[in-house]
Amino acid sequence: MSRDIVGMGAVASIGSTPEEIFDSLCAGRTGLAGLRAFDTTKYRAKRAYEIDDRARPGADEPGRATRWLKAAVGRALADAGHPGDLADVPVLVGTTLQEQRSAELWWKEGTPLDTAGLHFGTALRETFGATRTYTFANACAASLYALAMATDLIEAGEADTVVVAGTDALGESAFGTLDRVQNDVPEALRPFDRSHKGMLMGEGAVAVVVRRAAAPGQRVYARLRAVGVNCDAHHPTAPDPAGITRVLRDAYRRAGVGPEDIDLVMLHGSGTPKNDTTEAGVLSALFEPGAGPLMTAVKSMTGHTLGGSGLLSLVMAVLATRRGTVPPVLGLTDPVPEAAGLRLVRHQAAAARIGIAQVDAFGFGGINAVAILEAAR
Amino acid sequence: MRRDGHDGTAGTERADGRRAAAREVVVTGAGLAVPGLTLPDELLGAVREGGFDPHTGLTGREMRHKDRGSRLALRATEPALRDAGLYGEDGFGGDGDTTAVLVSSNFGILDSVCAFTDIIARDTVTGLSPLGLPQTSSNVTAGSVAMRHGLRGPNITLCNGPTSGLDAVYWARGVIAAGRAETAVVIGVEPAGDAVTKLLGAPVLDGAVALVLESRTGAEARGARARATVGGYARAADRAAAVAAVTSGRAAGPPGLWLTEGDGSPAPGQGPVPGAAAFDLQARLGPCAGALGVLQCAAAVAHFDAGRDGAVLATAGGAGDDAVAALLLTGPRG
Repeated sequence: MSRDIVGMGAVASIGSTPEEIFDSLCAGRTGLAGLRAFDTTKYRAKRAYEIDDRARPGADEPGRATRWLKAAVGRALADAGHPGDLADVPVLVGTTLQEQRSAELWWKEGTPLDTAGLHFGTALRETFGATRTYTFANACAASLYALAMATDLIEAGEADTVVVAGTDALGESAFGTLDRVQNDVPEALRPFDRSHKGMLMGEGAVAVVVRRAAAPGQRVYARLRAVGVNCDAHHPTAPDPAGITRVLRDAYRRAGVGPEDIDLVMLHGSGTPKNDTTEAGVLSALFEPGAGPLMTAVKSMTGHTLGGSGLLSLVMAVLATRRGTVPPVLGLTDPVPEAAGLRLVRHQAAAARIGIAQVDAFGFGGINAVAILEAAR
Repeated sequence: MRRDGHDGTAGTERADGRRAAAREVVVTGAGLAVPGLTLPDELLGAVREGGFDPHTGLTGREMRHKDRGSRLALRATEPALRDAGLYGEDGFGGDGDTTAVLVSSNFGILDSVCAFTDIIARDTVTGLSPLGLPQTSSNVTAGSVAMRHGLRGPNITLCNGPTSGLDAVYWARGVIAAGRAETAVVIGVEPAGDAVTKLLGAPVLDGAVALVLESRTGAEARGARARATVGGYARAADRAAAVAAVTSGRAAGPPGLWLTEGDGSPAPGQGPVPGAAAFDLQARLGPCAGALGVLQCAAAVAHFDAGRDGAVLATAGGAGDDAVAALLLTGPRG
């Protein structure tokens, strides 16, 4: 049973609305820039895909993830023609780091920190009157996990409208530990290219309004067929092909589709050698070589926006269905061998009629989520 | 605010338009790793010698390189699985593919995060241990539990403020009712540390609690004994609204036990719960944060195990919080 997506909002390094971000992707505009958040002398990696909105350049500030979340939710509600009072509307927020950066600034610099601000319900209550709010800290699969649970709420008759969102700002313990662990220092996030050296983080927030069924005359952006979720139970940080294969099968089964029905795959594509070879390997086993769906990876221009990244990919997939255009994977010139049979969009945006799209999101802890989306025409 | 379906027995609208009875969800096991305690009845006042000691209880091969929250969670999970009859000599005896893990923790990795920023400031990132990477994401504990026992179903971490533990139980019921899992392990955990103590002004629980939830039909099919039934839940603007949402229209009379925060005396606008004895687990355990709601459910299991009368109402959150959650638990037969 499909659900209607009737409103969307997003902010990222390359745009402050879904349309701006999509236009940037199609034009090959990257958000990559020198690292602004931290003292670069402390890190090997010197670049990231940040939102350049700090009041004083070079001085980080608390509360940015919350600020973008409110902006994205507000935009999605306005887009859906919703009056903005969420007293009876569940809001499900997926995040990797919550307001971890605010906690770091409290610890290091003594900026005030209210425990109530560590989960997003407090801001959502203040701004939208929402009380059925949930902060899911589900790593980089978080916002698609939240989307799965939103479909369950609607299915169970507990809600007709649900707002699903994701948000993350750079945090130095996460950025620094990743920097420490990666063998090489990436200059850019280059998914599926032989030159990929690892992941670089990005910032952003995203929100969608999902309804059981759109109101008469209401615009339907796309229909959500289903979301599958699971866990590898295999490794703390590395992906597992068996787990990813299982979640794909689960998503297809729930959506009532097969691999042959998929026209577009929004790849997780985090640019780490492990992710890229694993994801490409699983998909190569699933789709006919050279004849499968088109594929793209938005992280090549937004960086890895962590908890919100899956939902941001989904919103970009919605716009791909409406515009008949698929953005390219920026910087992809020489695909890894595992991706040889995959139809990765390269160099420039591709024109295509997209009926069904698949959206991948995989996270630390071995958690996987895959959404299946259908164009609304 | 809205009441969720009919005391946990919400009908589910199927694709064919038929309304099938959704699955009733029961608790079949509970386990603790709480300093000084051994079994859930001690939450309600039973006294035993000994009890869990985090100084000695968090060692062993399977604990190596794990963060404190994961260690505590693993220590609580095994007795909960054992209590549910799902753990034997060969380890976990259930179906890993259909078992979900839900973890509630508000401050689980705060100390790691703060410690890492200190190391970066002092030594640059080269001073960090690569083994710390999983601890920068709050879902590290849920991942550790899943890996330890091979639990490959939905894996969900809630960091949702004072209501977080009750919220996790609600979502555990949700993934079972939706057919995403047959069984769910629900864990509430709050490891202690300098940063958490500084933030809260007092040491946090430094412990964990685990529950095993499954559908009543699933429990019956494998001959497991239901210990409590997960009933209505609401997350609402204030306590009165949340309590009213889960208790109004019940024919069974007032709850026998009200697990709440503070002394349970009604704050202005919060509304009393007539007829129910109020009990605050935190009076003895100190701040339980994200573990509170799960501890309340473990206490409810002890209440029903002892054959005590009346349903158990659990509330978490209060005036000044973004919401209050209420969950009603009824006896083994619902």
